[in-house]
Amino acid sequence: MYRQGDILIVPMPEAAVPGGLRPQPRDARGRLVLAHGEATGHCHAIPGPGTLSRGFLHLPEGGRLVHEEHDAISLPKGWYRVVRQREYVPGSHRVVAD
Amino acid sequence: MATLTWEQVTVATGHAEGAEEAVRQAYREAGLAEPERVLVLPSPLAGAVVAAWLTGGETVRAGLERAGLLRDGLGRGLGGLLTDGLGFDGLLTDGRRLGSLDPGRSVRDAVRTGPWERARAAAYARLGHAGWAQLWAETGGRLWPQAERLVSDLRRAIADRGAALDTALGTDTDLAAERFGESLRNVTLDAVLGQHDAPWLSAFDGLGGVDGLGGLKRVAERAGWWWPYERLAIITGRPIELHLDDLGRPHRADGPALSYADGFALHAWHGMPVPPEFGATMTVLTPERIRSEANTELRRAMLEHFGLDRYLAESGAQPVHSDETGVLWRIELPDDEPLAMVEVVNSTPEPDGTSRTYFLRVPPWVRRAREGVAWTFGLTEDDYRPQRET
Repeated sequence: MYRQGDILIVPMPEAAVPGGLRPQPRDARGRLVLAHGEATGHCHAIPGPGTLSRGFLHLPEGGRLVHEEHDAISLPKGWYRVVRQREYVPGSHRVVAD
Repeated sequence: MATLTWEQVTVATGHAEGAEEAVRQAYREAGLAEPERVLVLPSPLAGAVVAAWLTGGETVRAGLERAGLLRDGLGRGLGGLLTDGLGFDGLLTDGRRLGSLDPGRSVRDAVRTGPWERARAAAYARLGHAGWAQLWAETGGRLWPQAERLVSDLRRAIADRGAALDTALGTDTDLAAERFGESLRNVTLDAVLGQHDAPWLSAFDGLGGVDGLGGLKRVAERAGWWWPYERLAIITGRPIELHLDDLGRPHRADGPALSYADGFALHAWHGMPVPPEFGATMTVLTPERIRSEANTELRRAMLEHFGLDRYLAESGAQPVHSDETGVLWRIELPDDEPLAMVEVVNSTPEPDGTSRTYFLRVPPWVRRAREGVAWTFGLTEDDYRPQRET
């Protein structure tokens, strides 16, 4: 698994990926955006080929995870679960935004 | 009058002309005779008290008079309006004279619910299930959370006033009908919400062929809550002030977030109802003041405002565990779950070479730093093994 700031990329077997996923569109710069930083406007993104659908990332050729403030991370080909960091709030929890 | 969007109607403040005529129009559109009298009051509390007096039993009337609510508590607001040529001069200064007025049955269903249901049925027939769902999502569904917050805060505050009367007068009986808290709360359920009906009215805007809502829309643009009875309509004014934070929640540090012309007011901190003095204390917070706050909700707001990391630093907290993932801090809080936080360091240094440290609150059962960091990603301590971190 790989961590870039407040997101964690966890490899998963293809058999565990739910069916019926619809790929999300890429952003204006042609990237797969895994998470936006609400405070800074920066984002965790994959510029190369692949698909992202509701937190499941497929990189058939592998890829690079980039962010304006973090070093890039090379990802081997395969399926991943994208996990956003959260913070505990008594009674529930909320997502962290950096 | 400037044209307000429905978003603006929901949170509009200040006096607006023409509410009475708009109410009369709503009666006509519902196929009813116009009310014989229209009573204009300054706040939903005033409206609820008068409605409770007019429709409640002897116990409610006697209690409201004993409490001086009709005479003194609302007198300031009522007095000015009642001598304003409305023909109610002196009426409400004496409950018995108010009693000579028979409002008749509530016509809320005929005036509000019926037209709304007909409009919705017409829109539904035209748009179908998916079309209606989409329309609602784009109109009322967006506005409803904010309106609902205001409505429920007002309802609770009005019921609280009644409950305070129960305490003061010793009327806290087993019989719900004899409790003011219950009486006033029930009366708020009979109100038409005026400006706070903006969400559902917005859904029908621009839909040709949906009619019968003109009066209701005009009232919503001009008034707060209102109570339609056969022979009498009670209209209440909009707030004189409403302060919101950048997320649209009632919020103000140096006074009430929501206030009406008769002094009825709600204090709120980022949407959370708070006591009147709360805002002022937030500017002079100390760890001691936070720790001594007995109300856990208020204490959480204080902690958030003060800053959890600053609280850790200034309260002399000791780290309980550290490993390569970070440091776990823990502070016991009286009558509440402990505050547990992990302090983590960003793996990628800032341009100046320093590494940014940040704190995340984790559940109180967390005992080790890795366990805490793993929890923030929904993983167990054993499963959290990043090969690479940046």
